[in-house]
Amino acid sequence: MATTFSEAARATRKKKEIKLVGVDMYIVTERGIPTFPDGEFGPFTCEFISNRGTKVWPGFVSPDLMMVNWYRCRFMSTRDVTDADVDAFLAVLTKKGWWWSAAQKLWTHDGEAAYSKAY
Amino acid sequence: MAQHVVTMLPGEGTGPEICEAVRLVIDASGVDIKWEYEEIGLGCLEKYGTLLPDKTIKNIAKNKVALKGPTTTPIGTGHKSANVTLRKVFDLFANVRPAKLIPVLKRPWDTIDIINFRENTEDSYAAIEHMVSDEVAQCLKVITWPGSYRIADFAFQWARANGRKKVYCVHKANIMKMTDGLFLDAFREAAKKYPEIEIGDVIVDNCCMQLVRNPAQFDCLVLPNLYGDILTDLCAGLVGGLGFAPGANIGDNCSIFEAVHGSAPKYAGMKKVNPSAVLVSGIMMLRWLKETAAADRIEKAMFAVLHERKHVTYDVGGTATTDEYAQAIVDHMHAKA
Repeated sequence: MATTFSEAARATRKKKEIKLVGVDMYIVTERGIPTFPDGEFGPFTCEFISNRGTKVWPGFVSPDLMMVNWYRCRFMSTRDVTDADVDAFLAVLTKKGWWWSAAQKLWTHDGEAAYSKAY
Repeated sequence: MAQHVVTMLPGEGTGPEICEAVRLVIDASGVDIKWEYEEIGLGCLEKYGTLLPDKTIKNIAKNKVALKGPTTTPIGTGHKSANVTLRKVFDLFANVRPAKLIPVLKRPWDTIDIINFRENTEDSYAAIEHMVSDEVAQCLKVITWPGSYRIADFAFQWARANGRKKVYCVHKANIMKMTDGLFLDAFREAAKKYPEIEIGDVIVDNCCMQLVRNPAQFDCLVLPNLYGDILTDLCAGLVGGLGFAPGANIGDNCSIFEAVHGSAPKYAGMKKVNPSAVLVSGIMMLRWLKETAAADRIEKAMFAVLHERKHVTYDVGGTATTDEYAQAIVDHMHAKA
């Protein structure tokens, strides 16, 4: 029985089925939009790259767009993956010389994407 | 007289009837504009599968200037806002939102003449959100040095070109020391190029309180995206509401002028809404196009019609339709010609 507002709040929490489906990698580079050939990153392939929230790969990039040296690179899994697959993936990225500032695992919650897409 | 080619985006809901009224007025002002109509908004979803079709993007890229009516942003669905997408595609980094007291609309203050410069592409609008556990969501607030510097630089240049004396930075750098701290640092760096302009900074919550108590103390404000979104509406409220609030989204190469109010779909087709916000956005566009005389003519005629109160819309106490209000402005311009 919840006795405080905090306990009551947490008691309303809805448990969800969580599944790992990809990783957002935040990469710092001065070499322009990164490229990640399919097949070089195990079960992960690059789905899109954004800069300051705007998609810059694949497809049209406005010539007006100002970019900074920090890219969000979304890698989605091509099969069921585990945290160990992500560890191996990060090691490959580092070995290939990509300097990354952060990684954010992507999950689905009850089958729904629990992450935003880029503009 | 040079002809301007302008993309017209009527939008949805009441947008088309508003834009027709505004076109009537602008065309009567003596300026030579060729309007090219393009589609945007929810109506495009069924036809093209997107809120912002490629054809529209290409036309704006060609003409480099557009006048836009209101659109509807779906809340909590998978569809991205057409407005935000436009800003992203053309990197329209400067959202310029003047808040000037319209003489005939009575308010408790004698004078308000503030120009807000809202950074339009970064901050928590970078669309980087994740559920990091099943009970925790996070949104990244992205502030960059070049993004911050250029909005400050733009504001200072605007201030210099328009004889404005003070430019203040609005922030919360006492709490968000990295992000808002960077924004403030870039503002101070940009200010060095404009020694004749008085600079200052104000914490966003204090700024809100000061705006309500003594808005006349402010001249130009430079704000990150989220504070800018909120404070520009606050300023609009001080001078008569969103019905009179113009806006411009300006990038290095393209500019889109638009009202900031919604599309009011429940009034669509009734021709009762006030088109003034799109009209004053059109006046901003004419000044941007160096058509100052036409802009002044429209503004004077609009103020006169509002002052007479014979042909004003319901929101300012009248019974005129959208078209009757627009025609009254045209008649006033012709009478003065």
